[in-house]
This record gives sequence, structure tokens and C-alpha cells, in this order.
Amino acid sequence: MRRAKQRTLFFLALLLALAWAGWTQAQNETPYYQSTDFNIPILAGWQNQSAEGVAQFYNPSAQATIRTTMAAGRDAQSAAAADLAGWLGLTGLDAPVYSGKVNLADGTWHSLVYDIDAGQSVSVMARQAGDRFIVITFLESDPASRTRMLTIAQADDTLDTPEPEIDSALQQLTQLRLDDLAAVGTSALPGGDWLVFQGESALAAGSVFGNDSYIALQEGAPGDLRALADAWQGTLLGFFITPDNSPYLWLGIAVSLLILAALAGSFVWRARALQKDLAMIEQLQSADSN
Amino acid sequence: MTQRRIHASLAASPQPRLLRALTILATLGFASTLVLGLFVAGTDIQQGPVQRIFYIHMPAFFGAFTAFGATVLGGLIYLWRGSEAWDRIALAGVEVGLAFALINLLTGAIWARPIWNTWWTWDPRLTSAAVMCLTYAAYLMLRAGIENPQRRRRLMSVYGIFAFVSVLLTLFIIRIVPDTIHPVIVGASPQNAQGSFEATSGVVLALLPSLLLWLTLMPITLMWHRYRLALRQEAVDALKLKLLGG
Repeated sequence: MRRAKQRTLFFLALLLALAWAGWTQAQNETPYYQSTDFNIPILAGWQNQSAEGVAQFYNPSAQATIRTTMAAGRDAQSAAAADLAGWLGLTGLDAPVYSGKVNLADGTWHSLVYDIDAGQSVSVMARQAGDRFIVITFLESDPASRTRMLTIAQADDTLDTPEPEIDSALQQLTQLRLDDLAAVGTSALPGGDWLVFQGESALAAGSVFGNDSYIALQEGAPGDLRALADAWQGTLLGFFITPDNSPYLWLGIAVSLLILAALAGSFVWRARALQKDLAMIEQLQSADSN
Repeated sequence: MTQRRIHASLAASPQPRLLRALTILATLGFASTLVLGLFVAGTDIQQGPVQRIFYIHMPAFFGAFTAFGATVLGGLIYLWRGSEAWDRIALAGVEVGLAFALINLLTGAIWARPIWNTWWTWDPRLTSAAVMCLTYAAYLMLRAGIENPQRRRRLMSVYGIFAFVSVLLTLFIIRIVPDTIHPVIVGASPQNAQGSFEATSGVVLALLPSLLLWLTLMPITLMWHRYRLALRQEAVDALKLKLLGG
């Protein structure tokens, strides 16, 4: 009796230890900021300033922030404006200096760029999710340079170069054209290959993913644009919403239990039928002997 | 003791203590692995909760593998030594293995609906799994249709041995025909695989106990129950024959 108790306690302790180890492992394995609304990769080397419902990462050397949250609004622009008002206290925001749409695998995203003062710009990607908008924002606070991030659908998706979109972005946001910049080369970054161009006061980089060009423009004092562009693209490509497909899980478990119960039940049912047969045989035997 | 009494005692024999213990252990083990898969393992953030079906889906296949393997062993030994006990083991293996294979097939289809956006596709792995189920369902139908016991045992032993080809085909088809969308969790996934996920330590921690349980305890316990049922059935049939013969 005592040994049985010890065994039960040992078994329970083993089960608890297993559960605890599994739970800790699961916590350590997640390089993602997870929330009920979205998941976003945690940027390596960036300060994690995330809070409930807001994924925010800060790069002190570049003075750059990448932030993801949900915001209410009647369209992408008003949702972006609402988030910027709540975060940076920016009210009465001017119209975006760049506005475009891209169709990505998970829906239509709005790419917006706002110039918020003489030296700073805010780049936003926003997409509707239910009655709210997902707003992903890039902000560089270094007054010495202005950095903008854009995602532009390729005009010709047979090309595997972002040059036409870099040229178009330069024309819309600066006084420059791509011909004014010199090609520096290609940088192989974790998110893809980036084509880099440099001018006297501007740096431009672009990478093609799918049928879209990811463009990064920097004016003023040159910083590590490639690293910022890669972090921004990595955030966009790594963004996703975990689907709630739990009804399928419960259906799968119910079907499994049903099959096992049917198998065990058939054993019991057949055994009972045999027992009845046996009782009948015994009755007949005793009737015979009488 | 007369022949009739032996049959009667066989037909009404109580459950051995070891079998009772195994049944309790298998039930507790099943509940524990369900808890591990449902509540302890982390949620796959890309696939969502439905990924947890994997903790039943894959072990169920390996449970079927054990049971169908027992059918091969039973068939071989029956053909060699002519012992009826091994034929009963072979039959038990088919019934239990088929139930496990159906769990594997159906949980796979349920997982595929949200992940592949379809309940079914004629992928090599899925097709071979369906063929495997049909092969063993045909075993049971064929067995029920052969009257002569000797002939039935001999024929079904041979059938059971060859039917195992469908199990091996299901296991290895993704290595033979790499053009499959079925993911491989241990080892490199095929190029077109959809719905893969990494076998992290958390996944392995929830999977291993489940795999061990379905590979050993569950098929052995259920097959033992089915074996006893076959033994009882034969004993009752023998008593009936005796009675009819006077």
C-alpha cells in the first residue's frame, strides 16, 4: 500500500516535471512578439520596448523605432494618424508625402510616408483586420538624416531588379533621379539581396520580394541604411496573424476518441454476446443432462 | 477435466491482472499525453491550435505500424509452426492497426482543411495511406468470407504478410516520390511540402511520450483484449459444435 502510494507520488512528480520543462521550453523557443491580434518577429540587437498590444523595438545607434499595433479608423490613413497621435502626440498631420497600395499574400496593405518635421519622417504599412487596422510604423529620430521606407508594387513583375521603383520613389520624395546616384553594389542581407545606390546627399536601397519592391531612402548624414531596411523588411515579411482553428483540433480529438471508443466498445459488445451464448449453451447442456 | 469444461472455462476466463494493469496504464498514459499535447506544448504561431493534432496523428500511424507488424510476425510464425495462437495475434493486429490507421487518416484530413484549404488531395502519401486502410479492411472482409478454418488461417497469414507492403510504402513514399506536399517533421521536408514546422525541443517533449505510448502500450493492450476475444469466440464455437454433435 505504502509502495503504491510512493509510486503514484513519483509518477505525479514526473508528470509535473515534464509539464514544467515543456512549458519553459515553449517560452524560450519563441523569437516572436505574440499577441491575440498579431505576431511579429523580435528584432535581434534592438531594444524590446513592447507592451500589451504594442510590439516596439528600438535601435539606439540608429535612433530608429519599429512599432506594430492595432488602431481604429475609417481607413488606413486615419488609423495611422490615430496611432501617431496616441504614440508621438502628433495631431493635425499633413497628407502623406507618399501613398500607395500593395497586394501581399495576407491582403492589401497601404504604404504611407509622412514628413513630420524638417528632419523626420514616419513610414507606415497598414492593413484592415476586422473593424480595426494593423499599423506597422518606422520612425528614425536622428535629426541629421531623414529615412523613409516604402513598399511599391513592381510596374513590371518580370524584372528582378527594384531600380524602376527606386527611381520612382526618388522622384516623388526627393529632387533626385536614380541617374543622379551611383551604384554601390549588392548587399546580401538575411531578408534578401539589396541593391544600393549612393549620391552626394542621399542613399537608396531596394530589394525585390514577390512582385513588390521594398525601398529605403535616406537623405542627409548617411547611417546604416541596409541594416534598417533589412529590419523593416524582416518585420513586414515576418508579420502574421495566428489563425484560430481550434474547432478543427477538437474535431480531430473527438474523431480519435470516437474510433478508440468504437474499437473498445466492439470488444465489450462482442464479449457480452459471447457470454450470452455461453449461458445459453450451459442451459441447453443442463436441459440435456436432465 | 472434460474437453467441454476446458472450453467453458476458456470462454468465461477472468481478465489477467497484468492486462488490467496495462489497460489502466494505457488509459492514464493516453490522458497524460493528451494533456501534454493540448496544454503543455506551445502553440505553433503559424499554424495555430490545429497543429496539436500532430501529437495524435503521427503516433497513431506508428501504433498502426506496430499492430500491422504483429500481423506479419503472427502470419510468419503461423505458417512456420501452425500455432493458432499466432493467427489470433495476426487478426488482433489487423483490427487494432486498422483503427489506428483510420485515426491517422482522419486526423490528417481534419488538419489539412485549415492548413491546405482542402480535406483531401491525391498526394502520394495520402493516397498510399488510404490504400493501406483499404488493404486491411479487405483483410477483415476476406477473412469473414472463408469458411474452412485451416484454409482461412493459411490464406490470411499470407495476405497479412504481403499487406505490410502498403505500410512500408506509406512510410517511405515521400523518400521515393519527393513530389509531395505532406510535410516531414524529422529530417528535411520535401521541396513542395506545405504545413511544415520545426521539431523544437518543446515539440519533441510532447511527441516522445505520445509516440512511445502509441508504439507499445496501446497496441499491445488492445491486441491482448482482441486476442482474448478471439480465444473466447473459438471456445464458444467449439462448445456449440460439440452441442450440435451431441
